[in-house]
Amino acid sequence: MTATGFPSRYLIPIALLVALLQIGVLYWMIHGRVSILRDGREVTLTVLPVDPRDLLRGDYVRIGYTISSLPVALVEEPEKADPAERVVYVRLRPNADGVSEAVAARFGERPHAAPEPQDVDIRGVTYVSPDALSSFLPVDYGIERFYLPEGEGRPIEQGVGVRPFSMKVAVAADGTAQIKAFYDGDKLIHSEPLY
Amino acid sequence: MAGYLSNLRKDIARWQAAGLIDADTAAALLRDAENRPGGISFGSILAMLAAALLGAALLLLVAANWEALPRLFRVGMIFAGIIVGYVGGAWLKQRDHAAFGEALWFLAATAFGAGIALIGQMYHLSGDEAQAVLLWCGGTGLAALALRSGPLTVGAVLIAGGWLLLQVDWRGHDLPLGYLAVAAALWGVSLWTHSATARHLLLLSLTFYALLVYMDGGTLAAPVTLVAVSAAAFAVSVQYPEQSERVLRLGGGLPVQALLGFLAGMAVIQFEHYEKQSFTLLAMLTFAGVVGALLLEGRHSRMLRWLAYAGFIFELGFVYIVLLGSMLGTAGFFFAAGVVLAGIAYAITRIERRMANVRRGGEGAA
Repeated sequence: MTATGFPSRYLIPIALLVALLQIGVLYWMIHGRVSILRDGREVTLTVLPVDPRDLLRGDYVRIGYTISSLPVALVEEPEKADPAERVVYVRLRPNADGVSEAVAARFGERPHAAPEPQDVDIRGVTYVSPDALSSFLPVDYGIERFYLPEGEGRPIEQGVGVRPFSMKVAVAADGTAQIKAFYDGDKLIHSEPLY
Repeated sequence: MAGYLSNLRKDIARWQAAGLIDADTAAALLRDAENRPGGISFGSILAMLAAALLGAALLLLVAANWEALPRLFRVGMIFAGIIVGYVGGAWLKQRDHAAFGEALWFLAATAFGAGIALIGQMYHLSGDEAQAVLLWCGGTGLAALALRSGPLTVGAVLIAGGWLLLQVDWRGHDLPLGYLAVAAALWGVSLWTHSATARHLLLLSLTFYALLVYMDGGTLAAPVTLVAVSAAAFAVSVQYPEQSERVLRLGGGLPVQALLGFLAGMAVIQFEHYEKQSFTLLAMLTFAGVVGALLLEGRHSRMLRWLAYAGFIFELGFVYIVLLGSMLGTAGFFFAAGVVLAGIAYAITRIERRMANVRRGGEGAA
């Protein structure tokens, strides 16, 4: 397995370069998330129970939202979308309680309907083809997990579905969503530090 | 390697006792064998096992999401692990501690994977595990390339396999064609890093991939191709052993891989022809392939012999279930199985003895 004839003089600088490159990748991932948390627009979403028997899986709770399942009537012109398109942009508008609800959605691009100033477009992915829609469109936004220290998921698992839980989410300009804070009613359970 | 050395030691002692070589030659031969570069010693195996354990501990520490350690501290720990692992490994490698150096690199690559997992956990990312694993694979492959490390190449191949499995699991009907590109790239890396192990794992994964294509589409094109390619590879390895070894550099393992591919493909094809007339023909073809492989290459490779025996037994069971199972009762099955097993044992001992005779004959001639 050991290679012979390799110029070992350069081995340490090369190793350092490899290390810095990998650290750079990790740093870049963190940076992307931090910038969403810092600069993204905030929306608050209502949390729904997902399969109550299997909510806690390992070290994270699976989370669903009211916007995880969209009435198909909200989807603009699905017949014009490419049948292979799976990306969905959903327009969110806060209601009187400050909780955002879906008002429009479109495959592949942002909804064409004129947005109101407080509207935020969030990017999601579905597994349903635009030409095979039934009454509800399931959409994942990449915020369907909440990681907790080992053993702390149980109370939340028991609470969701009994009490109202909500999630504050930051949405980047390109629609990428990032979890920001998790609320049990009005009580803050967990808030994300930037780093 | 250790097994080869202890065998050689016995042989040399025997040759010396028989007066074939003198004491000086015996000592010189042993010295040469012990100092042969490229061998894997128990020390390096233990070092890799230790690295695997430490790596697993690191991954679990991340998974436990232990709040006693602040997040920034955990990130810092990962970054430090990457730096210390790669640079420290290079330092050890320069000072002739190759095994520990490789083990540290292995640990650093694990730390990179743990870092990706930690970020996913910190920011509650969901839904892109496959992408995260691919990133880990890329980072490990790049490190293998830059540091010319065989163990890291093997690591990257294993991670790529994990990526393949994740995608199959998640999407179900979309086969990740990208795997073939990743496998080709890792094959290139393995040539540069002299890792025959990585190439063997890649070939195994390609056989597995062919089976996945079959499961995905349900057509026999993939297994038929697998059988054809395997048979061709076997023929080439028998006809041009040196040339094929120079191109593929599998340490002489191509016939074993080819036989495995052949058996896997034939198993699928026979499964599809279950309860059809053509089944008998296919079964005969499989038996012929196994026996042919034994006769042509069995002398050279113990692993091939055992694979052939296993294939033979499996095929017998298959044929029995399909053709006879409905006619005989359970008692009859036990009786037949006993007779068949006795027959197999007899055949195996005969073949092993013949191999031993051939080997002894070869030594006598030399």
